[in-house]
Amino acid sequence: MDLYEYQARELLEEQGIAVPRAIFAQNSHEVAAAADEIGYPCVIKAQVKTGHRGQAGGIKLAANRDDAILTSEQILPMSIHGHKCSGVLVTEAKNILHEYYVSISVDRASRDFDVLATAHGGTEVETIAKQHPEAVKRLHIGALEDFDLAAATEMAKSIGFYHADVHQAANILLNMWRVFKENDATLVEINPLAKVGDPDDEASKSLSALDAKISLDDNAAFRHNGWIRFADPVQTDPYEQQAREHGLHYVHLNGEVGVIGNGAGLVMSSLDAVSGAGEEQGTGIKPANFLDIGGGATAEVMSRSLSIVLSDPQVASVLVNIYGGITRCDVVAEGILEALKTINSAKAIVIRFDGNAAAEGLATIDAAHNPRLHVAPTMEDAAQLAASLASQLSAVSLGVLPERSVSVETSQEGR
Amino acid sequence: MTLFINPQAKVIVQGMTGHQGMTHTARMLAAGTDIVGGVNPRKADTSVSFDDAQGHTIDIPVFANCQIAKDATGASASVIFVPPRFAKAAIVEAIEAHIELIVVITEGIPVSDTAYCVALAQEQGCTIIGPNCPGLITLPNNDDVKGTNLGIIPDGIVTSGPLGLVSKSGTLTYQLMGELADIGFTACLGVGGDPIVGTTLLEALQAFESDDNTKACILIGEIGGDAEQEAAQWAHQHMTKPIVAYIAGFTAPEGRQMGHAGAIVSGGKGTAQAKQEALEAVGIRVGKTPGQTAEIMREVLAGAGQ
Repeated sequence: MDLYEYQARELLEEQGIAVPRAIFAQNSHEVAAAADEIGYPCVIKAQVKTGHRGQAGGIKLAANRDDAILTSEQILPMSIHGHKCSGVLVTEAKNILHEYYVSISVDRASRDFDVLATAHGGTEVETIAKQHPEAVKRLHIGALEDFDLAAATEMAKSIGFYHADVHQAANILLNMWRVFKENDATLVEINPLAKVGDPDDEASKSLSALDAKISLDDNAAFRHNGWIRFADPVQTDPYEQQAREHGLHYVHLNGEVGVIGNGAGLVMSSLDAVSGAGEEQGTGIKPANFLDIGGGATAEVMSRSLSIVLSDPQVASVLVNIYGGITRCDVVAEGILEALKTINSAKAIVIRFDGNAAAEGLATIDAAHNPRLHVAPTMEDAAQLAASLASQLSAVSLGVLPERSVSVETSQEGR
Repeated sequence: MTLFINPQAKVIVQGMTGHQGMTHTARMLAAGTDIVGGVNPRKADTSVSFDDAQGHTIDIPVFANCQIAKDATGASASVIFVPPRFAKAAIVEAIEAHIELIVVITEGIPVSDTAYCVALAQEQGCTIIGPNCPGLITLPNNDDVKGTNLGIIPDGIVTSGPLGLVSKSGTLTYQLMGELADIGFTACLGVGGDPIVGTTLLEALQAFESDDNTKACILIGEIGGDAEQEAAQWAHQHMTKPIVAYIAGFTAPEGRQMGHAGAIVSGGKGTAQAKQEALEAVGIRVGKTPGQTAEIMREVLAGAGQ
């Protein structure tokens, strides 16, 4: 789970990392009140779970109350890189003297944790990391080890924090590690970690976390009751919400073929096959979703999955791709028929069964004599059929084709 | 040569008395795996009845912990089915009892728990397969070596043959096993779909490379991380046996997790495209679909005079 900036700041503050004063606001009245309290000039920042907000016009300086209201009215309705803005953060405008980048993340390759830091923070950090990789310092923290002040100080010195800042920087690194460990995070990133203050007054200078990105490990939710405060109902896709309530792995996509399968790898593979078929057939048909019913699914799980997928108006046909290992294809077949009892939908469903109880499952489908159910012998054939049915059904609904032209050969052969 | 596990190895099941544990212990026993005990501190000194491979009813004892189970039975491998919140303690217990091979089926273990367990296992010289994986199956061969099934991979769909298979995905493992059932396998293992896993794709290839009976390998990867690229580099320098690969997730959108905790394209890294390119750059052919991957493997075997 990725956090919004205003949520990430909370976790940093809890560990004593300095952040600018800020108030989260969701409409222009709240913004005006917040800005009055923070003082002028202040910064209005779009709260979206994606990067490059600044370049997209999602971060603006407001000189006075009217300016703050006007700016927030521009930012609040924005969508940045497909992410709807959930509100704005009104923050103190700090005088920035220098920008650093620091992060702690899970390192998949070395199977431990990775502290990354550079004295060249800010919006250009990715370019700098590419062009001058030597400017980015890296320290591994072993999974059986801990991170201490001595190691943090060494790291702070190595990236060239100005002498007087080393102690504060080391403490920030150590506190970031605490945020990381105590919250089961997979990423804690501060960019920029800025040196702020009056350039002529040494005593006023300090390090402040001007922006932060934190991702939490969803698998650890069972030991963090407090995560309920990070729930984001405003942004949730209704189909994803419904699927999650039933413990299904579902991702909503932009295409026309609903895809249901067992096992994440097989479902991803099915998406690729549908997309490939759409390209080959020249229709550009694409998968509408990813839905993994998991191992050993019951008829009820299958039935519910099919109901969710069929209720999506974007879906023109459905591909059900099952390789029965623990999952029994005959149970899946029952689930499909169960769902169709209650749903009145003209959408075609293409089924491919293989493995455990495939023959029994195909017999059940066959016996149902439902003209909307089609069977294909392989995953590739099933994807081709689902894609072509989707393009024909889309054409019908657009009025391009008369309805009765929808007829596709079906194969009842299992393997 | 024995792949990953001695076929005579005695095996315990942590979480045997749970629903998953019971179902799969019965299956593993029927497949010929020598399961000698279960572990559950609340059900210590009881036993559970199962049918063995010959159809005889046998009582499998339940022990309070791994050390007691090992002392009583001489077990050297464990299969773990305990729920995510207890998984770390279960794995640590197995490592501390110096169980040589620990197969973790559990899905949904926090990544920091896995990182801890994998590091501890390395320090103590134990091997972990998984977590969030279907496990390991080795096939019985002509030299009277019996097979073992540790986990949830369906047996009976393949027989012994010259192929080795390593995969990040459970169902795609079964799919390719099914596609190439007529050729057969030495061993198939799923390494799991989490960001951090015990045995890596590369380590599995190393094992197949040093196994005399394995003549060619299938590698099934998916989006996320760069384990496929790392395996490709190693194979290029060290592998003498042909590899055919398949990668899932070309259509996965960036930033969205596709089922597996590790299957996510983030910051433009870990794409299926990048993996395919890395594999092809070192001469490993990559199938577009599981079906085509099997076809390529047939061609490769024909070309190698098999």
